[in-house]
Amino acid sequence: MASKPIVRVENLSVLLEGGGEPRPVLADISFDVAPRSVLGIIGESGSGKTVLSNALVNWIKLPLRVTSGQVLYQGRNLLGLPEHEMAKLRGREIAYIGANPTIALDPTIPVGHQIVEKLREVEPGISREAARKRVIDTLDAVRIPSAARRFDEYPFQFSGGMMQRAMIVDALVSNPKLLIADNITQPLDVTVAAQIIRLLRDLQSDFETSIVFISSALGVVSDIADDVIVINAGRIVERQTAARITSAPEHAYTRDLIAKVPRLWAAAETPEPTLLDDMMLEVRDVERTYVVPNHTKLFGENHVRAVRGVTFDVRRGESFGLIGESGCGKSTLSRLLSSIEQPDKGTIKVEGRDIAGLKGKPLLDMRRRFQLLLQDPYNAVPAHASVGRTIEEPLRIHGLASGAALKARVRDVMAEVGLSPDLYESLPVGLSAGQRQRINIARALILEPSLMILDETLSALDQVEQARLLALFEVLQRRHGITYLYISHDLTMVRRVCARIGVMYLGRIVELADNQTIFETPAHPYTRTLLSSILTVEPKPFRPETYLLEGEPPDPIHIPTGCSFRTRCPFAFDRCATDDPELAADADGNGAACHLAPGQMPPPTILPATTGPLAAPNA
Amino acid sequence: MTDIALSARPRNRSVAQRILAGAWTSTEMKVAVFIFAALAVLTVVAPFIIDASATKITVADRFLPPIFMEGGRYPYFLGTDQLGRDLLLRSLIGLRNAFAIGIVSVVIMFVIGCAIGIYSGYRGGWVDVILMRITDVQMSIPVVILAITILGMSRPNPFTVIAVLVLASWPAYARVARSVTLAERQKEYVRAAKILGASDIRIMALHIAPSILPSIAFVAVLDIARMMIFEAIFGFIGIGIQPPTPTFGTIISTGTQYLLNAWWITIVPGFLLALALTSLNLMGGVLERSRNLVLQGQL
Amino acid sequence: MAFAIEFFLRRLSQGLLIVLLVAFVIFTLLRIAPGDPIRIILGPMATATAMEETARELGLRDPIPIQFGRFVMQVAGGDFGHSFIRGKQGGASGGSQDGAMELSQRASVMDLIATALPYTLILAGLGLLFSFLIAVPIGLAAGLNPNGWQQKLGLYMSSFFVSLPNIWVGVVLIYLLSAKSGLLPAIGYRNIAYAIIPALVVAIEMSPVMIRAISVSIASNVQEAYFNVGQVRGISRNKMIYRHVIRNAAVPLLNVFGAQMIGMLLGGLFVVEYIFSFPGIGLLTINAVFQRDFPIIQAVAILASAVLVLINILVDFASTTIDRRLKF
Repeated sequence: MASKPIVRVENLSVLLEGGGEPRPVLADISFDVAPRSVLGIIGESGSGKTVLSNALVNWIKLPLRVTSGQVLYQGRNLLGLPEHEMAKLRGREIAYIGANPTIALDPTIPVGHQIVEKLREVEPGISREAARKRVIDTLDAVRIPSAARRFDEYPFQFSGGMMQRAMIVDALVSNPKLLIADNITQPLDVTVAAQIIRLLRDLQSDFETSIVFISSALGVVSDIADDVIVINAGRIVERQTAARITSAPEHAYTRDLIAKVPRLWAAAETPEPTLLDDMMLEVRDVERTYVVPNHTKLFGENHVRAVRGVTFDVRRGESFGLIGESGCGKSTLSRLLSSIEQPDKGTIKVEGRDIAGLKGKPLLDMRRRFQLLLQDPYNAVPAHASVGRTIEEPLRIHGLASGAALKARVRDVMAEVGLSPDLYESLPVGLSAGQRQRINIARALILEPSLMILDETLSALDQVEQARLLALFEVLQRRHGITYLYISHDLTMVRRVCARIGVMYLGRIVELADNQTIFETPAHPYTRTLLSSILTVEPKPFRPETYLLEGEPPDPIHIPTGCSFRTRCPFAFDRCATDDPELAADADGNGAACHLAPGQMPPPTILPATTGPLAAPNA
Repeated sequence: MTDIALSARPRNRSVAQRILAGAWTSTEMKVAVFIFAALAVLTVVAPFIIDASATKITVADRFLPPIFMEGGRYPYFLGTDQLGRDLLLRSLIGLRNAFAIGIVSVVIMFVIGCAIGIYSGYRGGWVDVILMRITDVQMSIPVVILAITILGMSRPNPFTVIAVLVLASWPAYARVARSVTLAERQKEYVRAAKILGASDIRIMALHIAPSILPSIAFVAVLDIARMMIFEAIFGFIGIGIQPPTPTFGTIISTGTQYLLNAWWITIVPGFLLALALTSLNLMGGVLERSRNLVLQGQL
Repeated sequence: MAFAIEFFLRRLSQGLLIVLLVAFVIFTLLRIAPGDPIRIILGPMATATAMEETARELGLRDPIPIQFGRFVMQVAGGDFGHSFIRGKQGGASGGSQDGAMELSQRASVMDLIATALPYTLILAGLGLLFSFLIAVPIGLAAGLNPNGWQQKLGLYMSSFFVSLPNIWVGVVLIYLLSAKSGLLPAIGYRNIAYAIIPALVVAIEMSPVMIRAISVSIASNVQEAYFNVGQVRGISRNKMIYRHVIRNAAVPLLNVFGAQMIGMLLGGLFVVEYIFSFPGIGLLTINAVFQRDFPIIQAVAILASAVLVLINILVDFASTTIDRRLKF
């Protein structure tokens, strides 16, 4: 690199003060950012990477304090600049995009107008018409459909992915020399995140901006960056080119980090398939539509078809997974399965009994057979009741025990899920997310259910905690013979744990198969796209370039005719517009709702399938 | 801009305890509580240590100014009124009566209002719409109009006064309780309880109510002061508790005739009332600030 | 456009229902409470027959629902009836054994209200003006500096003001500004100067609520993500405050203004007018209560609740214009 770096950080140290002992957050950080390049910064949560990103725009506020070091931008120390000088750089030559796009703008003013406002702030000479035109053109460039109409829409009308694109427009519209992207893909769905990253790469070369890309996911960073820095506990531990960081890491921490990323294909852990035939859960043709007001017409209504005919079986003792991205209908399905809402059509049978029409006492009795575990550990456990009281409650409601026997049972369950008996009288306020989920599990387990529905139960936990709880689930399954239904968007977890998997899209199951088939020889283009978007360090059998999705899923109010996936499918042909494909199961119980014959999609690039429909022909 | 996650401080106390503890740390709270306690003690103790009467007419001691002014005489610390009755004692009795009415009416309106609000918010549907329209109607009638309509027609007694105050003010509590219930109802622990099979009453009473109440308790403290003012206003207009029971309203209204010559008859009792109310309002305000901080996670 | 039509149709019809209900409640309360208006009209010496005759003439002996129905028809035709007691020339009957005043001589309620209304409006306007002058600067400062001395100042001032009973403040101000020093006139009305002290009392009553509402609303918006993000994007702090924070803060403020404050204002005006003998609607109504003059009380109650309902509807509609999320 012959040219001067655009940013040079020298010996930066930041301290966290207030409320006790001062704690160092960053210690002696030094690095360069070359012009027109992408620098990736990887760190786990708590490593200090967000504080570093704030330092790069000189936004270190109390209780944080810079104790030493400089941030040199084109030779000037940003940390030493007076505020009005710094204000001339922020938003103009140095741009910043954060992790929460949906709350980044004023909710009461249209998105486009706010970007114009920013543009006219940083370029005072520009006229209103010229600003408007430039913003709409840039919105178009980031592939926001109907850019001119979207210009006048409000933040709440934008999805997460769209909003992040709008924030990218906001950042790039002033032609910055440096762009800092802090964790920008974390809240997004996998396929949407993949699109954003590809977009950013393209824009970077068009606009000649340098990017500092911060993330906790190794897969993301190695995809987009030229050079990579690894941060641990406020210090830089390794600096490498992106190409070499995964193949030849030098520092032990980096090696650890790489090892912790779960492997999906090479040397993957997969569960054993079940042998029992006893049906635990039978779902047939379940449908649910919501009616919401339509404000564009007088007294108008819209029909949101959240679930459009879902059919699957779960056998006793099995772990079944339902995966899909936001808007696929899995949350509605989980509400239907746990009987909080009734389906409009179809049947749901638990151990042979149809729960779809049950109310009152029969429903209460059935509730002992199956339980639901929810995602949010902070809101799922009431804050005002002690741990023991919360776990006692199911027994009290069903009148199953009282007095000393009640307390004894609660203590037993607490021990079984790994909660210390001392916590019986404590309030949940001080407990970690993992411990709170254990309270949830104990509360569900105490009724001795045969079926447990886990709706994104582990999504809010970090990797370590997830692994521990998955191990707990395994133990409980062996001991009590519980059947699990996992509803999740996390493909890596599902790969590890679920023997059979269903893929949902727009309220339907588009593919249903066993674990190996889904991950190695999937038959539906959407499944392949999902797999191609996963951020991982190993080579993927499905390349993102082949399975490129455009845009976002259609509105469940206006579902395309024929196959609902055809508007985004890279392989759609004319039959897809007229015929809605059925999910037809073959002899193994696997099937995909697609008109394509198995051989019509490009074969996976690494794994030579020796059996099954995609076996490479001998020639 | 993501916030720095400050290391979680050990928190082992419930929401209510944290709000109270947070409020107690500020000096304003301590000052307010002190003033209030001092007045309370004075109310109880003063009749026994001051050798004067709140009700006995003593013509010889009429129109005595407060003791710190020229002409004032011991034991009439705050002077006497036009019938020779000690103003301090009269004010303290008035304070006691006002406070009693304030507390009783607030407790009743709090319980009734919150119960209706929680039920309405939880049930939703027709029940909710009807109950909210009733609160609309109630809130469309200003307190004073309601009071003069009901109390102006007959001889008011403490029960009717309390009834009017409760009738006029329960909708505010119902509104707040309802909106908080609507928010809590979405939360996952309510869903979890339903899945476990808990009945609606159980959820409302054992889960939603304890989550709501600490947050709006400070409104009740502020309302005690507000009700005391209403009670005084009623008395002033003549629709409050009737003489000879001393109430601030009647003391102030009868004293206005002598404003030019014996201004202390009107002004001093009002000052005592204002002092008591300031302490109450300060307490309520500090509690509210503390509640906001706790809910934002800063305490 | 469709939204606006649907909104107003829905809310106006609900509002009409509410006003009708309020009217019915007041109407019934007046008639079932003890205390006979006839006795006041005719005086304590009236004979039983004269009382019955007068009562029937005034329509008071019919069942309440029928009376109410008649009343509603009257109002729909624009006629709020005539005072039981007051005469057109300003006189009032009472104690006359010759029976109630002839209908043609009794003042029409509409006229009485129309005469009194301008005074009340002047008082309300001036009072609100004073309140804004006090509350807006303090509320803004307190909200923008939630950890500074401004917030404490806001807390102290609002706690102090809200603890001052308006009756007492009225007397104190009369004493200080009028009786003792002769700076300003106090009782009655001859020119606008007579409205200043009463308006100050109203302001002292209203401003604490405003201070609190403004500071809470602004403080919560300053803590929102968009405030910081906006500055990092390049928009100056002041512009963020004036263009965005104030806009967002306006919605809950409008709510407070509509529901709480107008109700408070109405109640406060009544009492203040009574204290200062200010010839507005409040004084008219309170006197009407003591004289059991039903028609006036009914009309004022209906008008007051209609005003409240209308303001609520307007406030809600304005809120949806500012914050589009409320439409959905």
